[in-house]
Amino acid sequence: MRKSFPVEDLARDERFVRVPLMARIDDPRSARREARPGKGRRGPGRLTPGRPDAPDAARSLMHGIFMGEIQALEGAGRTCWDFEVGQGSGEGVPEVPFELKLDMARQCWDEARHCEISAKLSEHMGTEIGEFAENTFLYEAACNPDPVLRLTGVNRALEGLAIDVFNTMREFGEVAGDPVLEFCEDWMLADEVTHVKMGSDWLRRLTADDKERQQRALEFQRVVDKLFSLGGFRGDEEDSPVRLARRFRELAGFEDEEMETLAEVSREARQELEARIEANRTAVEG
Amino acid sequence: MAVSVRPERFTMVHFDADEIRDLVERLVADVGLPADAAVIVEVDETTPLGRSVLASVDPVVLQLESGALEDPKRPRQLDPVGAADVLGRLLLAARDRRDPAFGDPPPDEELPLPHSVAWQVYCVGRLSRLGYRTQPARRRYQFRNRHGFTDAADAVFDELWAAEGLTWADLTAASDRARAALPA
Repeated sequence: MRKSFPVEDLARDERFVRVPLMARIDDPRSARREARPGKGRRGPGRLTPGRPDAPDAARSLMHGIFMGEIQALEGAGRTCWDFEVGQGSGEGVPEVPFELKLDMARQCWDEARHCEISAKLSEHMGTEIGEFAENTFLYEAACNPDPVLRLTGVNRALEGLAIDVFNTMREFGEVAGDPVLEFCEDWMLADEVTHVKMGSDWLRRLTADDKERQQRALEFQRVVDKLFSLGGFRGDEEDSPVRLARRFRELAGFEDEEMETLAEVSREARQELEARIEANRTAVEG
Repeated sequence: MAVSVRPERFTMVHFDADEIRDLVERLVADVGLPADAAVIVEVDETTPLGRSVLASVDPVVLQLESGALEDPKRPRQLDPVGAADVLGRLLLAARDRRDPAFGDPPPDEELPLPHSVAWQVYCVGRLSRLGYRTQPARRRYQFRNRHGFTDAADAVFDELWAAEGLTWADLTAASDRARAALPA
């Protein structure tokens, strides 16, 4: 069985359609348009039941979670296989401690369960599997050849995003009076906190004597965090559809300073996306 | 039949105004609007959001953000099936509003969400029986979000989905009945 499986070869049936992230970024339309006569500034805003489109927004988000769970399973599974057991420093043939593989095996078990839960939740919400496009940037972050960077990017950045998303959905389920959604999200949220903690612990242990590698890993995390902020979709602003779940991130081992940095990264991502949209629009209107 | 689509040429999305016009003409005939009804479809292509409103009934003016007609799997592409769901629902609401026997509902922007969603269920149920592909499970979830995740709400949903010839008073009464079953 080959190592470092490319994203293009992931198995999907005909129900699934992949959309490259650039297709979204190159879209000249803006969900946060400027105030115009007769049309106030309006964006998607926070996911609350008061939004007329809230049920559909929740369905779309839930489908994104489902796709994320599949890719998280694929990523953790690859990490079990891609690296040899040893005490390597990241140079040459990548090696990891056996206990790290055990953690990844446990994560596979969790992610498989999350796939089942997410599929059933999607059905509960009236969504067909494959109804929305799939983005594969999650799995792409799980292809880093350095296990420390991979775990930092996936378990701290990506699973950190999962904490924010699950908490948002859990709160939505609670306010909307949907006990199934609230319960399932709460259950999965608990696992995500554990996954992030694994990433934090392994980052600390594997780089205890290699600060340069630790810095590279944290820089990779910053890149992934920015990408996963999705142009400010996840952020700490009042109108961010997905808010930073600070309390749960704290439980997962994030320091206050890291969360402030993440909030700043999200603001940057939002500003950059808005600038990009403006440029796209100018080009289209040419 | 006078159906016009604005803009006539799209620049930010890959929609074809003629395709939308053909679809609306077919829907107008199927839902039972008068053959000479003037219908204007205004698409705001500057936003990917998905709001859709019935802005006027004579002429029938449908205002939609481009996301309402977009294929969820193919950004900026028209989804003819999803578009028929949205446009058909609005046209059925227009037919209801033009019918004096239906009653006199408030303007769209003043409709309470539960009443608005109950009306949508009634419209999409009829659209489904006209042979258009709809998403009953999605509509049930929307209805539950506004009326509670209860057996009573599900029973009212089933009634509305299967109903014909309802009045505005019937719709609001059904919606209120479902909400009355919510736990205190």
